[in-house]
Amino acid sequence: MAIISDASSLFSSKSFLIVDDFQGMRSMMREMLKAFGAKDIDMCSNGSEAIAQIGKSKYDVVLCDYNLGSGRNGQQVLEEAKFRNLIGPSTAWIMVTAEKTSEMVLGAAEYTPDDYIIKPINETTIKTRILKAMAKKEALFDIEKAAKAKNHTKALALCDEQLKNAGSNTTELLRIKTNLLLSTSHYEGAKQLFEQILAVRDVPWAKTGLAKVYFQTADYDTARSLLEEVVEEHRSYLEAYDWLAKTLEQIGELSEAQRVLVRCAELSPNSVMRQRTLGEIAQKRGDLDVAEKAFRKTLVLGEHSVLKTHHAYLGLAKICSDKNNPAEALKILSSVQKEFDSAETTLQAKVAEGMVYRKSGDLVNAKKVAQEVAATVKEIANRVPSQISVEAAELMMETGDKESASELLQMAVKNNHEDEKLISLVNGVYTKGNMQEEGKKLVEASRKEVAETNNRGISLAREGKLDDAVEMLRNAKTMLPNNTRILMNLAYVMVLHMQKNGHNNTLIREARESVDRVAKLNPSEKRLSQLVGMLEALPG
Amino acid sequence: MDNIEQAPDITAFLASSIHDMKNSISVLINFMEDQLADIETQDSPALRKMAPMLYEVKRVNSNLIQLLTIYKVGNTVYPFDLTENSLGEFMEDILSQSKHLLDYQGIQMECEFDPDLYWYFDRELVSGVISHALNNSAHYTQNKLRLSAHQTDAGLEFHIEDNGQGYPPSVLETGHAIEQGVNFSTGSTGLGLYFSSMVAKMHKNQGKTGSITLKNGGAYGGGCFILRLP
Repeated sequence: MAIISDASSLFSSKSFLIVDDFQGMRSMMREMLKAFGAKDIDMCSNGSEAIAQIGKSKYDVVLCDYNLGSGRNGQQVLEEAKFRNLIGPSTAWIMVTAEKTSEMVLGAAEYTPDDYIIKPINETTIKTRILKAMAKKEALFDIEKAAKAKNHTKALALCDEQLKNAGSNTTELLRIKTNLLLSTSHYEGAKQLFEQILAVRDVPWAKTGLAKVYFQTADYDTARSLLEEVVEEHRSYLEAYDWLAKTLEQIGELSEAQRVLVRCAELSPNSVMRQRTLGEIAQKRGDLDVAEKAFRKTLVLGEHSVLKTHHAYLGLAKICSDKNNPAEALKILSSVQKEFDSAETTLQAKVAEGMVYRKSGDLVNAKKVAQEVAATVKEIANRVPSQISVEAAELMMETGDKESASELLQMAVKNNHEDEKLISLVNGVYTKGNMQEEGKKLVEASRKEVAETNNRGISLAREGKLDDAVEMLRNAKTMLPNNTRILMNLAYVMVLHMQKNGHNNTLIREARESVDRVAKLNPSEKRLSQLVGMLEALPG
Repeated sequence: MDNIEQAPDITAFLASSIHDMKNSISVLINFMEDQLADIETQDSPALRKMAPMLYEVKRVNSNLIQLLTIYKVGNTVYPFDLTENSLGEFMEDILSQSKHLLDYQGIQMECEFDPDLYWYFDRELVSGVISHALNNSAHYTQNKLRLSAHQTDAGLEFHIEDNGQGYPPSVLETGHAIEQGVNFSTGSTGLGLYFSSMVAKMHKNQGKTGSITLKNGGAYGGGCFILRLP
């Protein structure tokens, strides 16, 4: 392997993209890069050109001005490039800016630049920063690649390997490692590591991380007090506000959650995601004015952003409808179907459309839409979150199609037979359709049916009939792909099978899939990290 | 009392104007440094005239940055970025920024630090404090400056020392007052000291808080500025 020791040949072997709206600045940067030894340099003057350029060629280093005039800013270009996978783990992104912003420095880790340089720029500074960013990308490339490919075990092993001879990347490695532990539900391991870091140094990301562990393991009070400490000590640390609001929402303190989100939105006025969350909390509390303002702001901010979200459109439409403005509600709902090309969003928009008609007294149109919804939902019910099915069922129920509505509700119950929140939503829909008693019986029967299947699977396993147990729960999973209890038990029985009969590629893949699905559906499932641990401990 | 006109909120205007002025000054600094780099002989009359100009412009720039940062910290919108920094890279940055000016002024700078040390601090804020202290010492020194950084029980300590007359008693007292958290009436150096003290205090760890100290004596017998970060 050739060792490139001098900076000049390093620069000459890499490709660079300069994004700046001022011609003078672009040529000055290019001259600088050339003086450092760079040969492969492209330039563009706005966000759209930059996205097109990044889509066409691969760059090792992007030097992007934050303020790009009208249209997207540098942060939005970076978000889009990452979101659309136009840049991978080998591209270093350096933001050049007149001042640092909260989003750039303390925003969501997946969308922060690798480094930022404050203007006026200085030749030596820019050179060291570029060299440093390139070195970091190179050092972390294998880990990020493994993590991206969801090969967490390998990524963790690589982290540990590099942490042994720690140097400049220690913090970065620890952050990656704790993130990996959290995303694979290794809460005990994550907790230990965070506590270890905090014993030496009060760092907001580690304390926030520790709070995340408590949140995921449903200890919301501890999570809350940790997060309150972080925002008190580090008033601009945005991630802590996000998690604090989430925790407060979880324990039902909505007005406090709203207060935290208002504060956080002030600190990061351009965040699409935070305006949306603020709107949703305010809507949940019935604070329609705050919700409307937040959703409208979400739409404006999302205009140039790849992170724009259909939730704000749906939320705003509902508010318009509640404020007796069905015309605007319908307009928003038709635009959301044009702006977002997804079956799930279209379904949600259709359901909302039916509700708007119904609320405004237009029962003919409400019924028409409900029929369309009934046709679609049959096909995709297993792929959309159960909450959406329940909303669809509500529309069908209220427009008279009680039979289809009930069918859909039973499916939702079977997929979530232990989820009290969802069950109470379902009961609410039955009540609205004047089927309270009948509904209750149906719900109980469905819950019992699933619970029995589960128990039979477990009994078979206890009796040592592991093949039969796997088979039984596997069939249950095919019918009810979103039932976390079945997914958990299936994975557990598969682990037992492999502990007894040795490694089996099919079983290990299926067990992992099940566990991953649970982590997605209900990350705070208590036994999840234990099960993950058992899976990892399997030999071979 | 209906007819009392509400006083305009001047702070927002001040902040945006400072921001605007800062941008103009940045352009000016880039321009002057380019011009200075073009002057070939180190002993030309143009250089001798230009160097003090650059010093004054940099002073204005650093004051504006400090004002703006104090404003943002006061409104808790400053994105305080506590990350682990390589001392080697940080010092190199500082040196490259002050190099031009020190060269033109004919000041000798000595530097001592452990390049393999890593420490947690906000890069921009601490760089603002150190540059300001260097600029200040460069103005009052005879011909020598020393910038050093080392780890002590209190944390990481930066020392900036010179062979000038040292701080006058009034400044030493002011510095003392700031450290005590007492309200102070400013001399000409009030802003810089206030800024440095604020930055120091923003750095906390394990119950310890950062601090600054001004004293006379030090390695060269002149003024000595110390920044401690826990």
